[in-house]
Amino acid sequence: MKRIILPFALLVTMVTAGEQFAMSDADRAMYKEMLENNPADIYVEEGGEILEETLGGEAALAKFLGITEKELPKYIAGFPRYIKKLGNVVGVDQVLQAMQVEQEKEKYKLKSSKMFSMLAYVKSLANDEQFTIDIKADEHIKASYDLGKKTFETARGGRGLSCLSCHSKDIVGQVLRTQPLPDLGEAAAGATWPAYRMTKSSLRTLQRRFQGCMKNALLKVIPIGSKEMVGLEVYVSTLAQELKKPIAIPGLKR
Amino acid sequence: MAEARKSMIKIKPKKYKTGDIVKVDFIVIHPMDTGLKKDKKTGEVKPAHYIDNITFSFDGKPFTTMKVWETVSTNPYFSVNFKVPGKGKITVDYTDNTGEKNSKSKKLKPKD
Amino acid sequence: MKRRNFIKSMMAVSAVAVTPMALMAKEDAAKAKKKGPNDMTYDAAVAAISGGKEVKDSDKIKLTVPEIAENGAVVPVKVEIDHPMEEANYVKAIHVLSTKNGNVRCVDVMLTPANAKGYFATRIKLGGTQEVVGLAELSDGTFIKAAKSVKVTIGGCG
Repeated sequence: MKRIILPFALLVTMVTAGEQFAMSDADRAMYKEMLENNPADIYVEEGGEILEETLGGEAALAKFLGITEKELPKYIAGFPRYIKKLGNVVGVDQVLQAMQVEQEKEKYKLKSSKMFSMLAYVKSLANDEQFTIDIKADEHIKASYDLGKKTFETARGGRGLSCLSCHSKDIVGQVLRTQPLPDLGEAAAGATWPAYRMTKSSLRTLQRRFQGCMKNALLKVIPIGSKEMVGLEVYVSTLAQELKKPIAIPGLKR
Repeated sequence: MAEARKSMIKIKPKKYKTGDIVKVDFIVIHPMDTGLKKDKKTGEVKPAHYIDNITFSFDGKPFTTMKVWETVSTNPYFSVNFKVPGKGKITVDYTDNTGEKNSKSKKLKPKD
Repeated sequence: MKRRNFIKSMMAVSAVAVTPMALMAKEDAAKAKKKGPNDMTYDAAVAAISGGKEVKDSDKIKLTVPEIAENGAVVPVKVEIDHPMEEANYVKAIHVLSTKNGNVRCVDVMLTPANAKGYFATRIKLGGTQEVVGLAELSDGTFIKAAKSVKVTIGGCG
């Protein structure tokens, strides 16, 4: 296994085995209970209403994807995926945007709150399902996965950091800025975003979270919906898929 | 006129009978601004904007009232218990410090 | 052209004149910072609620708060009171307070026997590590309370 050599500055800010910051079981139970009253549920409900009123709901979505409504949950669990008529590996939000264009409706920006709500609603249709991303399905998804993994591992930016610098198996558990660094597969990042973020008091998506992380690590932020971002989402989702983490939208995060 | 505020009433458990004690959860999207923080983008102080009063009623009869302060979290959540008297409607009426009035209802359907 | 230059020079002069005033305003603002119109200390809030009556610590109040709050903006609080909720004997009110926020008051919940349980839960903002207090008023006119400390951490990335 490749040893990750961390920049000295980063090493200095890390503290091993942050027991003083580890959440007690009682605390964990409290935060788990909060999932039952997640403000994001309201945004998910709103997303469903917008989808229904502006695009024709699940029926129209299934039709656009060329599947039956019954197949939707397992199919959604396979996103991001290659959509032939769009010629690209895309996320659910990009499919929704394409539907808006096809139906000549108002096209929401990928970074708009209405799009986040719709994305959360559609993804929640796959709740309790296992991911069904097949990186061998075609050359496109394979390329997207490879690009995502490469982006995850490439050191760049002012501090020479990559995603791997903080999220490799060697580093997981160490405390950075009072928070123990999570294993993205174990934390089921791909399966629990979009989520309500307590520090932002709003619904946030996985790609947007990546952007926040990049800003803090002094990496140039990658645009939402770009090949690299979609690739990253594919890669991070497979980490949860490998550990058989079921989809649970919306999540609740710090 | 402003769009109606988004909120949700959840009754737990989902299946209950008359006489059962259920949990009534009310979640609402509201900034709950204290009036002491600056908007990061404009640099201006965001004026105080928070829910200040809530009344829970069943078929028009109040059973719980709350005085709420700006120290409650953004997009807040309020939870109380309630003994199901029978079929009827729970209504949550709430106002905020700007005088804005809102209401949300949910039917109670006991499976007797 | 001349007029523009004139106005420009006037603005330059007023810019210089404004600076000392701006500095003073900033200082005042810094002092006034964090003082809201609802600000009230813990002792004053308790006195206002109990009317000066004794408020006893009671283990009949189960207060559930996290030991360590991941984020001070959203701290879950649950109050459960082991007490009947009958017509002649019930928990009249539950007050959730902090001990160090500028305005320590969070929510005042007026219950009735229809609630069937002395229970209330919510999520509050805490400005820093401090205690959260659950204070109850019983229908017999007595007051009881329980307090728990919450450590508020500020950190994380993203």
